[in-house]
Amino acid sequence: MNPNLYEAQSTLSHGASMLISNYVFPNDLHVHWSMMIVLYPYITGLVDGAFIIAALYYLFDVKSLKPVARFSLLFAFAFLCCATLPLLLHLGRPERNFNMLLTPSPSSAMAGFGYIYAISMGVLSFIVLFVYRPDLVERGKKSKGVMKLIYRALTFDSDDLSKKALELDTKIIRFLVGLGIPVAAVLHGYVGFIFGGVKANPTWSTPLMPVIFLFSACVSGISAIVLAYIVIRKLGSLSIDAACIKTCIKTLTGFFILAFSFEMLEVFSHSYLKTGYHHMVEGLLNGPLASSFWLWQVKICSVIPLILLGFMAFVKMRDSIYLPISTIVSAILLLQVFIMRWNVVIGGQLMSKSARGYTVFHPEWFDKEGILAVIIIMTIPFIILYVLGKIFPFWGDAIKGSISSKPVRKTGGN
Amino acid sequence: MLSKHAMRIILVVISVVAVSGVGLLVKAQLIPKSFGLYGAYRADAIDEEAQRVVRHGTNASCFGCHPYEAKTHLKGDHKTISCEFCHGTYSDHVKSGKKIADLPVKKGAEITTLCLRCHNTEIKARSTIVIKTVAMPDHLEQQKVKLTHNCNQCHNVHAPLKYINEAKKITGLMEEH
Ligand code: HEC
Ligand code: HEC
Ligand code: HEC
Ligand code: HEC
Repeated sequence: MNPNLYEAQSTLSHGASMLISNYVFPNDLHVHWSMMIVLYPYITGLVDGAFIIAALYYLFDVKSLKPVARFSLLFAFAFLCCATLPLLLHLGRPERNFNMLLTPSPSSAMAGFGYIYAISMGVLSFIVLFVYRPDLVERGKKSKGVMKLIYRALTFDSDDLSKKALELDTKIIRFLVGLGIPVAAVLHGYVGFIFGGVKANPTWSTPLMPVIFLFSACVSGISAIVLAYIVIRKLGSLSIDAACIKTCIKTLTGFFILAFSFEMLEVFSHSYLKTGYHHMVEGLLNGPLASSFWLWQVKICSVIPLILLGFMAFVKMRDSIYLPISTIVSAILLLQVFIMRWNVVIGGQLMSKSARGYTVFHPEWFDKEGILAVIIIMTIPFIILYVLGKIFPFWGDAIKGSISSKPVRKTGGN
Repeated sequence: MLSKHAMRIILVVISVVAVSGVGLLVKAQLIPKSFGLYGAYRADAIDEEAQRVVRHGTNASCFGCHPYEAKTHLKGDHKTISCEFCHGTYSDHVKSGKKIADLPVKKGAEITTLCLRCHNTEIKARSTIVIKTVAMPDHLEQQKVKLTHNCNQCHNVHAPLKYINEAKKITGLMEEH
């Protein structure tokens, strides 16, 4: 948007007259961290949640999650590839992000994100390669030319599928996943921390921020896996493993209760403590955010899924009912987390540093950070996922004898 | 004896370590020499900034060549305002004591836009103690003139209340009679 004051004033006078606004500093009129900064925690959150599902299977041996375990890894990988995209698009000079990485400093939080991101990318790539090695070896044998070389590289040039080799792989996978959990937690906790560390913004500046972000990340990621699994399997007319979905939903319920409780606790502690800027936060939640926070985030997208999840937990029902409800709940929760990110990131900027006035945000379609850009960025991971699916088959059942924690392969080449 | 598979994995680990090592080396090479001498920034930047050519003058730098504007400006309510805010930078106009190019002079509606950058009531953060603001078009309606009037048709841009005070003096005199 053109920050021409003359234009901004006319939009302000329009918005301001609807609200209780008083003083908005000229440099607070425009929301500088807009939709790209909403997407950034959303995408890293999806990565984290998907990774949790994989970790439950590969590290904690939750056997029922087997059908989605490999898919969650690929899903996490595809989204992790795009995690920095919104940030780079937000920057006026994206190439300068390397300067920041060259000279990280303890007083500047963002460089830390770059390093944690690189580490998690490395760990996740190796997990995927080790998990898929048996498939890749098989495919490598059948292919020729360049593809054969690619497969050789992807399998670390080892076509050994003996019991011993696979056992070693399993150990390595467990080790990497074990390493991956703290890395994933730090990755997303850090995203929350970057907001929590902005002292100047009373809605962000709370130590609860990383915790809230982490739990809602798990909620969005698990919901995404449930939804993607059901939709992709249905589209391919493949069977759906109800036991697997049930485990996912149970995990989801746990994380969602925590996430929602913390979101509400934050609001309640603000209003009980009546901290310095409480009047601003209260005015924000009841003013400009009244509908996106109370109506959408809390009532529609949290209370309704909570009731549905409780229903699913306590009432026995047939799979033909359970599965559609799971689909709906996951879709609503995906929306919940998106709205929550929106309310935190954009909502937090709707109040002026004057602590006396509120501004308005107008999303634009054809902006560098506009709605179209959001749609494009959110489709890229799915394209990556589609391409990955050509080399890394999503589902274990499509090929016989795929990897599990116990190697079952009889025909081991050497 | 390690199997071929185990050897390959050891190789992978070694290459990961090697790649990170090379990465750290490259990073060390790319960091500018003087970085970190005084703090988390390039020490040379201080010198470079100090070498920057000064582009702005002060109001006093204009007075010598523009005595007429100087006189009005210094007596008016805009005496605290920088000439360069409204006209552009000194270095675009004068070099080593000689005029090298004209500075733009705003005309017509541009003048109104210029005035409202500072005097617009819509900018809520403006404190009325520091600066008086007007709401448009109310201000023109109060004066009972056409809304196409620009600010300089009643206000002298360099001494904004000059004409108005003069007019008040005349009408004031007339009222006494
Ligand atoms: C070295 C003497 C000198 C200095 C110093 C100087 N000017 Fe000028 N300026 C001139 C001359 C000569 C002209 C041309 C006058 C003319 O065309 O009538 C001019 C023209 C201008 C004009 C355009 C007038 C027009 O009608 O186009 C503006 C505006 C102006 N000066 C502003 C400034 C300001 C502001 C400063 C201080 C930052 C400044 N000048 C300093 C010599 C100077
Ligand atoms: C509030 C903004 C503002 C400030 C401050 C200001 N000027 Fe101007 N100046 C203008 C405008 C607008 C015009 C055009 C006036 C018009 O057309 O009525 C102008 C005209 C001029 C002209 C050209 C006069 C002409 O008749 O062509 C000169 C020279 C000039 N200013 C010099 C200065 C100098 C020197 C200073 C500082 C002492 C200064 N101005 C401060 C707004 C300003
Ligand atoms: C850079 C900001 C700025 C611009 C641009 C500007 N002014 Fe001003 N103006 C001021 C400030 C600041 C004062 C008060 C100065 C003081 O009290 O010392 C002032 C004072 C005035 C006053 C006197 C108000 C009063 O009753 O005390 C009038 C009238 C005025 N300006 C009109 C104008 C007009 C007309 C223009 C356009 C040509 C203009 N101003 C452009 C900053 C600006
Ligand atoms: C029709 C003539 C006219 C025009 C055009 C005009 N003004 Fe005025 N303005 C006045 C008069 C007369 C006063 C003095 C009012 C008084 O003292 O009661 C005034 C006062 C002001 C004041 C001081 C207000 C205060 O509260 O004391 C400011 C600021 C001002 N004008 C800015 C502007 C600006 C900016 C524009 C252009 C958008 C503009 N004026 C256009 C006639 C005019």
